[in-house]
Amino acid sequence: MSLELLLIIAFGGAVLIYFSGKISPKLRNCLAVVVSLLLVAITALLYGKSPNVTFYPGFFGIPIILRLNVLSWFFAITIVGIGLLSIVYSLQYIKDEKRLDYYYFTMLFINASMLGTVLSGDLISFFIFWEMMSWSTYLLISYKGGRAIGAGLKYIIMSIIGSLTMLVAIISLYNRFGTLEITALSSQMQTAPIDYTLFILILFSIAFVIINAFWPFHTWLPDAHAEAVSPFSSVLSAVLVRKGMYGLYLFMYVILGLNTLNKLSAGIISFNNVFCWIGAITIVFAALTALLKDDSKRILAWSTVGQGGYMILGVAFATTLGMAGGTFHILNHCIYIALLFFVAGAIEHQTGGVRDLNSLGGLIKKMPVTFVGGLVGISGLIGVPLTNGFVSKWLIYKTLILQGHPFLAFAAFLGTWGTILYGYKFIHNIFLGQLPEKYKDVKEVPFTMQLPIILLTILVLLFGILPGIPLKVVNAIGTSFGFESLNVTIWGIASETGTLNTINIFSALLVAAVFVWFLFRLGAKSVPVAQQDTYAAGTHIPKDKYHYTAEFYGPLYRMIKPFLRDVIDEFYYWIASSMQRLSDGVRRVYAGDVGYYVMYIILFIALLIFVQLKWKPW
Amino acid sequence: MVTKVMQIILSPLLALIVGVFFLGLARKIMARIHWRYGPPLIQPVIDMIRLFCQKSVSHGRMFDLGIVLSLAGSIVVVLFLPFGKICPLSSSGGLLVILYIMLLAPLGMALSGGEGANPNISIGISRKLILSLGYEVPLLLVLLAVMTRYKTISIMEVVNAQQSTGWSIISFPLFLSGLSYFLILPAILGIRPFDVSSAPQEISSGPMAEYGGKYLALATIEHAFVLFISIALFVNLFLGGAANPVIFFVKMLVVFVLGLCINAVFPRFRIEQAIKYLWKWPTLLAFVGLIITMAIRS
Repeated sequence: MSLELLLIIAFGGAVLIYFSGKISPKLRNCLAVVVSLLLVAITALLYGKSPNVTFYPGFFGIPIILRLNVLSWFFAITIVGIGLLSIVYSLQYIKDEKRLDYYYFTMLFINASMLGTVLSGDLISFFIFWEMMSWSTYLLISYKGGRAIGAGLKYIIMSIIGSLTMLVAIISLYNRFGTLEITALSSQMQTAPIDYTLFILILFSIAFVIINAFWPFHTWLPDAHAEAVSPFSSVLSAVLVRKGMYGLYLFMYVILGLNTLNKLSAGIISFNNVFCWIGAITIVFAALTALLKDDSKRILAWSTVGQGGYMILGVAFATTLGMAGGTFHILNHCIYIALLFFVAGAIEHQTGGVRDLNSLGGLIKKMPVTFVGGLVGISGLIGVPLTNGFVSKWLIYKTLILQGHPFLAFAAFLGTWGTILYGYKFIHNIFLGQLPEKYKDVKEVPFTMQLPIILLTILVLLFGILPGIPLKVVNAIGTSFGFESLNVTIWGIASETGTLNTINIFSALLVAAVFVWFLFRLGAKSVPVAQQDTYAAGTHIPKDKYHYTAEFYGPLYRMIKPFLRDVIDEFYYWIASSMQRLSDGVRRVYAGDVGYYVMYIILFIALLIFVQLKWKPW
Repeated sequence: MVTKVMQIILSPLLALIVGVFFLGLARKIMARIHWRYGPPLIQPVIDMIRLFCQKSVSHGRMFDLGIVLSLAGSIVVVLFLPFGKICPLSSSGGLLVILYIMLLAPLGMALSGGEGANPNISIGISRKLILSLGYEVPLLLVLLAVMTRYKTISIMEVVNAQQSTGWSIISFPLFLSGLSYFLILPAILGIRPFDVSSAPQEISSGPMAEYGGKYLALATIEHAFVLFISIALFVNLFLGGAANPVIFFVKMLVVFVLGLCINAVFPRFRIEQAIKYLWKWPTLLAFVGLIITMAIRS
């Protein structure tokens, strides 16, 4: 199984599906699933192998290289996995929309180009795939039209800025070293002067920080995630955004390496430190902003911003534990955020497009599978023990505390408590409370939409109870960067500074729960009652007006809202509007009327004559 | 192995007895402060048995499972907390795990209450969560100061370190953190002046509004556990733990009675006032404590 075959299937499949859609929609849907399944199978088979293919003369004489190592395999499997699930989910979700050939084509094309970025072994093919990814993402964000077009524009403008800085850095590297091969660069960069290294690193970091949506470049993400169609929101949030993390890994650890990275510091300010604080600000700001939102997908979008902060906290810390925590968190986030977007999409699909958390309620009885998915997903997001999010967060916290950075740890903890608040609001406002009359005929989603939800729910719990399975790969990534190996067992982490044993927690909780359940059954029987039959101090209960949702955390909103103006976003909008004013001014000069131009020419000649008469320069 | 199993069975049982005893004691002491006679000490036990035999209403599957999850979560936390020297699961993740498993109890309660479909419950839970965000800010600073000071995340090691160097609450930077913890203790316990979430006169006991019969009994047990956990954490982190359960119990009793005196004489805060208080003095103390701890360490 070679790498070019993987890419040919990925890109060829996308094109094939577009044309098969012209023949029959059924054929197209089947093909889409088959192609995605094939990609998952091939990628899974490639585990542990490290093929390397070089194409001469490649692009303008620069050889193009495809290669696979444990880092790119880790990202590749998340891409194809989430890609498959989102295609399966799309089958029913999207079936009533228009331009479906276009939708499936773009969806698979994005997956293929993301796969390309992680498989490329030189910077030129990396850049080409990266650009393909940016543009096709723009097309799919704007798929629904209306507000989505604005969101797409916002994304593409920020993305282009990132691509341009990256291009400058790539050209500069080529000029200096005459090669763009990653392995060659990584040995050459060791001898480069420190200021040049910093220059390159900052240019690349801008590109990756933008796509990762860290503060202060977070502004594109909430709009884009909320306005895209839900299956694609999953892809966006779970894997596409994290291509930025892949880029950071590539530059910080593969090309520069640990030794060079440690040299980039002046006094207490080091490159890693700056990243850590960016991460901390991102976490707190995003968590508190998410609290104020009333749109189910917008909440999840802001949580995506915040969770990125945890990853960079772990990764930028550059210790064995931190690295493992950050990398593991990428995988965990990928799983539960995809799950949550599927859940939000299911709600949207079954209620006729409602995303407003203030007008839902009581859906637990109508959509139990979706509810369990949502609950487990939110638990993962919070990091409740026995979900996968807990293990990675535990690793990150432990790193921060033992390395003596309690304030960073505090920011991370505070973000988690913010997550609890908005996570519960998400669950409560959608699933709990009273069911409004208009939703009494809502049904559970069809099976092809349930399947991704069920699979991801199982994964969240599995990786939470037996974290050793994914940690093996995560550990291999760490050791490939030159970190020490972590002592991983199937149910946790053993180390001299404290162990984590999830199986103990799991069995304790299980035994305790069974015991309490028996105690519960032992008591006198309880009678099921209807939802209207609640305590209201003897007064009449009006239907549909009895669910406490609007301003769920009212007193807190009033306290924190003044501090949470998104100044950065306003600043970007100010730049945009000043540019618009400037262009408008220029437009007035070029009015398009010949008379004006004649006047300009005459004025210009008059000026020249005046200059000549006065100073005689010519 | 046998001692381990014995400990696993024994420690939740001890916690339950201590917690329920505290519940009874609370009513008695409150009554004496109010110049009343008060119910007998075993009144909570009598109530619980009566409640178990009474019929109740259920609002659905989550309504039942939530309360089970909540109580099970509390029992697991107890297994991680040293009670004297009894700590069955001391080596499974330390203070960070305790901090997170402590989430299960309120989360279960919130899920169970949420399905109760009563706005009083929703208001109560919303207040409870806001309040918890309020007291978590100083609490996290306090815990981080302790963990930074002793360079460990294991609660057992914190206790052992104090046996040799003396209690944290009288050691230099940590007395600030200890004081801060004591100031927020009523908020953690959810007693007056911080009983905004249960507020019987305003929102019909909030999350408890739909509970009756065995649900109420389990909720009472759960409350007993919460009492035990918050006070035991304080004793372990700041009062040096104890070599045997009896001394540990005495220390807990002192802390509890002090907290009760505050409870008895103060009226209830509004939620905004509570947050303002929590984010002012306790946070300031904890913050200064953490900064000094950091400075000393480096």
